[in-house]
Amino acid sequence: MSLLEVSGVQKIYKGRRGGATVEALKNVNFTVEKGEYVAIMGESGSGKTTLLNILAALVKPTVGTVVLDGMNLEKIKESAMAQFRRDNLGYVFQDFNLLDTFTLEDNIYLPLVLAGKKHKEMKERLDYLAPALGIKDLLKKYPYEVSGGQKQRAAVARALITNPKIILADEPTGALDSKSSDELLELISQVNQMGQTVLMVTHSTKAASHASRVMFIKDGIIFHQIYKGDSTDVQMYQKISDTLNLLAQGGDIK
Amino acid sequence: MKMGLYPKIAADGIRKNSRLYIPYFGVSLLMVSLFYIMHLLGFSDVGKNMTGSSSMGMILQLGTYVMAIFGMIFLFYAQSALIKGRLKEFGLYNVLGLNKRNIGRIVFYETLISWFVAVTGGIVAGVGLSKLAELGFARIIQTEINYKFNFSIGSVVTTIIVYTVIFFFIYLNALRHVRFASSIRMLNADKAGEVPPRANWFVGILGVVILLTGYAIAIRIKQPLSALIWFFFAVILIIIGTYLVLIAGSVLLCRILQKNKSYYYKTNHFVSVSSMAYRMKRNGASLASICILLTMVFVMLSSTFALYANREDTLRNHYPRELNCYARSNGFDEEHRTLPGKLEEALNDKAKELGIDTKNSFSLTNYSFSGYYENGKLDIDANPLMMNNIDFDNVVQVYFFDIKDYNKLTGSGEVLSEGQVLAGVEGNLTLGDRIAIGDVDFDIVKSINPKDSALKHAIVSAVVTTVFVVVDDLENVASLYADKSDPTGEKLLAWEWDYYFDTGVSTEKQKELTSSLITHLREEVKTNTSGKYKIYCDCREEQRNDFVKTFGGLFFLGILLSVIFLVSCVLIIYYKQISEGFEDQARFGIMQKVGMTKENIKKSINSQMLTVFLIPIIFACMHLAMVLPIVNKLLLLFGHNNIQILLAASGVCVLVCGLFYALVYKLTSNAYYKIVS
Repeated sequence: MSLLEVSGVQKIYKGRRGGATVEALKNVNFTVEKGEYVAIMGESGSGKTTLLNILAALVKPTVGTVVLDGMNLEKIKESAMAQFRRDNLGYVFQDFNLLDTFTLEDNIYLPLVLAGKKHKEMKERLDYLAPALGIKDLLKKYPYEVSGGQKQRAAVARALITNPKIILADEPTGALDSKSSDELLELISQVNQMGQTVLMVTHSTKAASHASRVMFIKDGIIFHQIYKGDSTDVQMYQKISDTLNLLAQGGDIK
Repeated sequence: MKMGLYPKIAADGIRKNSRLYIPYFGVSLLMVSLFYIMHLLGFSDVGKNMTGSSSMGMILQLGTYVMAIFGMIFLFYAQSALIKGRLKEFGLYNVLGLNKRNIGRIVFYETLISWFVAVTGGIVAGVGLSKLAELGFARIIQTEINYKFNFSIGSVVTTIIVYTVIFFFIYLNALRHVRFASSIRMLNADKAGEVPPRANWFVGILGVVILLTGYAIAIRIKQPLSALIWFFFAVILIIIGTYLVLIAGSVLLCRILQKNKSYYYKTNHFVSVSSMAYRMKRNGASLASICILLTMVFVMLSSTFALYANREDTLRNHYPRELNCYARSNGFDEEHRTLPGKLEEALNDKAKELGIDTKNSFSLTNYSFSGYYENGKLDIDANPLMMNNIDFDNVVQVYFFDIKDYNKLTGSGEVLSEGQVLAGVEGNLTLGDRIAIGDVDFDIVKSINPKDSALKHAIVSAVVTTVFVVVDDLENVASLYADKSDPTGEKLLAWEWDYYFDTGVSTEKQKELTSSLITHLREEVKTNTSGKYKIYCDCREEQRNDFVKTFGGLFFLGILLSVIFLVSCVLIIYYKQISEGFEDQARFGIMQKVGMTKENIKKSINSQMLTVFLIPIIFACMHLAMVLPIVNKLLLLFGHNNIQILLAASGVCVLVCGLFYALVYKLTSNAYYKIVS
């Protein structure tokens, strides 16, 4: 059984006061295996953010099911949803979403504190994570005192600290300069190599080239996917940009 | 550009920011209408017809000025909050090509619109409410009024002039805000990066120390005279202390809590403690302002209410019987032995002649002088005004009474021999079993409680510590001080004879009797004595009117000012909630994504808001409790001496204001939730 099974997902946004309806997702089917590193690519408006929000259980699909590790997201009660999210999902956002009222350390602890964990246990987990993420010396600083790359690393730490089943990353390099982007992507690859399942939404070819599989989404469906296999990042980069070119020309690669 | 553009932009801006402008209009409207009412009662014929007496009119006129000053302060505050919310919009205009002068014109039209709404609306409301206020006022001061509708063109004009000037200053202030803001800063005004609050140990501790010093002073003061001097000092310390404690002290407290890991890293505490630190840093100043305003309302309302509610007691303490006659002179005279009897006889005869029986009468003769008490000795040569280290608590007024008077009034049968006295103190002194007054030593054989006996009526007002000394023979003792004079060269001794009685006749007859008695007694002392005596007679019914009007006027003023203060509080709270709402909007979203349930967030925010909301009222109650003793002392200056009524009055005030405050909390937090969700 796959870790994540998405089948027949459709999402229709109703316009206000009977306005035009928008079909953000038509019919999305895919699975993600444990330990995979999947990237989802698509242009603006292709529905990738909607898809990610559905996976994060922030938005309910109009039709279709999402099953994470045997749990059907639809069946989870609204009241248990926050806890489900906390225990099973790690979320990395484009704009970091760190709370400016907390130090980086406290930001990372936030999900654990919400889960009612002891301070000792939280500290043990962070002591393990912090050196690997290169934020050991930044923990006492506030978000406004560190760079974007450092903020994003703290956000990754916050996503990892609950040992989630899957990390959902929404354009994690979107707000970073190229050097920080490279570092962050390297980091996510490392995290993946440690066995962490990662699902990343991006429109950066470079970011996607780190993934073991890239899915292309267009007009609300998964249009195409390519596997990295034994290719290097550079080869993968080439493959992806070829595909994107084809997509942009409207060509049918199926 | 077309002329019509600026007014249009201004009107648009107001409409789009109605959430901010409507409360502003409401408050300025209220200020204007209250000013009009105050002016109507204080300056126009309407008021003069009602008040008659001038002391009342003065209170109301003073109140009118106070009203204008506070109106200006609060409108300035409200307007600064408004303009800060508008800077982003102005920045955008600036980027789009309007220069500062153009923006200045928009601001001008905005102020013009606000001015127009406030002044016309305020005057209409003021005229509409004036009859109600007049009726309420008449009820408080117990006067009859006609039911004709009163209107004063003079008050309208003054109101327009005063508020036009105030709005002109407000306009200048807004221009200043626009002028000194660069367009980039204006654009980013609400996004300015927030530096996390650092715990400032020095300021925090300093605040606590200053606050406690203020409290200590307030509590330690025992005498009204010193109260007057120290009161403002204590008030200033308490105000500064409140600001420092709420701004720095509270952040410090949050930081200390954060250091305690096992407390801090709990679901319930984690978010609230850290965002509290932010909130307090941001809002410490407005919380302190709310707290000070509430304290002012508490003190003002409870003291004026107590004065008003206790007016009958105060009156009766002052005038124990329907008619109250006094004879006074300076120095010692053998004649004093027989004079009271003569005057009493003359008085009773005159009354009988007019067909009036004197009833429940009692008389009281005393000698008094002041001195400086130290170590069991009362120094009568010292001049307290010339002394360096004067302790007002030790400035003492001594009253000598005769044992015969005392026994008669209290129904006791005390016997004293020469050099023995009964003594009692009203104030902050403890006597030993001996007291040296000047060069004479007295044995205190028994201490008495002056409050229990009729002796207290001899004292006009217990402004300084009063020592009551009952001696075996008043004239003999007085003769010992006959040669002494006070620092100004006057005779030290003051002699007074009081005679109090009831008549049982109508107020009109009492008034007639009073004036004929004054004439008769003055004639009597001129023909049959050395003639140096001053004679007074007061009719209680006549005085009652004055008491009611003075205390009623103060109470009325207290109510109106409290309304203004409370409304300003509401405005501060409202703007605070709104700005916090916008702040929390983003935070709310993040927490939800990280896995906090909506209920969790709501609960946490709710508890924070409640805490932040409760802080001012808790501090205000604390302040009230600490300054009540001093307020009680100050009320002594008005002849009010009833701590129970003061306590009850403050209890009622706290309750009423507390309920009002809770209501405001409920309403403003609704506005907050609307923004957040």
